[in-house]
Amino acid sequence: MWPIHAVRGTALAAITCLNVSAALLALTGCTPRVERIPGGEVERSQQEPALSGNGRLLATVTERRGRPTVQLRDLRSGAVLPLRHLSRHQPHSSPSLSWNGRYLAVITQRGQRRLALIEDRLTGRAHPIRLPGDREPVRLSLSPDARTMALQVAVQGRWRVELIDLGAILEPDRSAGERFSGPLQPTP
Amino acid sequence: MKTTSSLGGSLLLILTLSGCGGDSIRPLHSLNSRLADSAETRRDPSLGQGWLASLSSRGGRERLELIDLRNGQPVPVPVPGLNRADAQPISLSVSGDGERLALVRQLGDSTELMLYRRSVGILQRLELNPAGVPRAVSLDGRGRQLAVQVSRNGRWEVDLIQLP
Repeated sequence: MWPIHAVRGTALAAITCLNVSAALLALTGCTPRVERIPGGEVERSQQEPALSGNGRLLATVTERRGRPTVQLRDLRSGAVLPLRHLSRHQPHSSPSLSWNGRYLAVITQRGQRRLALIEDRLTGRAHPIRLPGDREPVRLSLSPDARTMALQVAVQGRWRVELIDLGAILEPDRSAGERFSGPLQPTP
Repeated sequence: MKTTSSLGGSLLLILTLSGCGGDSIRPLHSLNSRLADSAETRRDPSLGQGWLASLSSRGGRERLELIDLRNGQPVPVPVPGLNRADAQPISLSVSGDGERLALVRQLGDSTELMLYRRSVGILQRLELNPAGVPRAVSLDGRGRQLAVQVSRNGRWEVDLIQLP
């Protein structure tokens, strides 16, 4: 067992190895290393984790003044990163990050309606995503390069997953030196 | 001059506000209608780079389905050993290349965190230490790191698990 070094009084918490799990993945002969993410100074409840493609950032939903709010953390430093557009329009749910974490997509609340919102952390812009027919998303997932988003919506009482092309509004967020297959092409 | 700039500012503000109506997104209509036709319901999407994992149901039975989208057509790919009839999938996540899938499933009284490696068709259980009940899962792009929401002592926590 290794200690967690938490910086009390701030939202920062450096993360070190906490537990080494029991023997697992016997086929490979390796054991996964388990770390627990501290919730900050008040040990906040954390839900709906979403890792960036490169594994460096973690988004979770935590309670802030009683309202579920997305929080973004740098896993190397433990620092909580500022989000320009996501301190309101709660409750937040279903966060999703692109490869380098440039884009954070989350479902927000505007009045009585749910709305998907993408924050571009590089430019500071917010991109609200309105679906045709004013359908309300309940879950979402961003592709690693942020060219495509999948949204779970209800259509005639049934859950459906709909894909949208974001190529017209977002620059791709690709991993350095890695080749991706081409974007999905919309069909007429 | 001051009036002009004030007017310009107001106009800019109005334009900015009206711009909040939503950006121009393009639904992938053909893919979407084929996805809708291929299952009675579909939920919990997780996107890789050209891969869609989701929970789809047919005949009332829900299963984890992995779909190859790379050619602009939804092509389900075989995932032998991933689904079992007596288990209820709860949460899922796919790696960027579609090779690894993380799954939380309910099997009898037990809620399990599982990792599936497609190229070898092997499903393995990942033990939580300290013990807890997993709920929501997320894999990173390379499938080498996993974040999982765990209930412990009446509180939700997030564990990070490094995978070989």
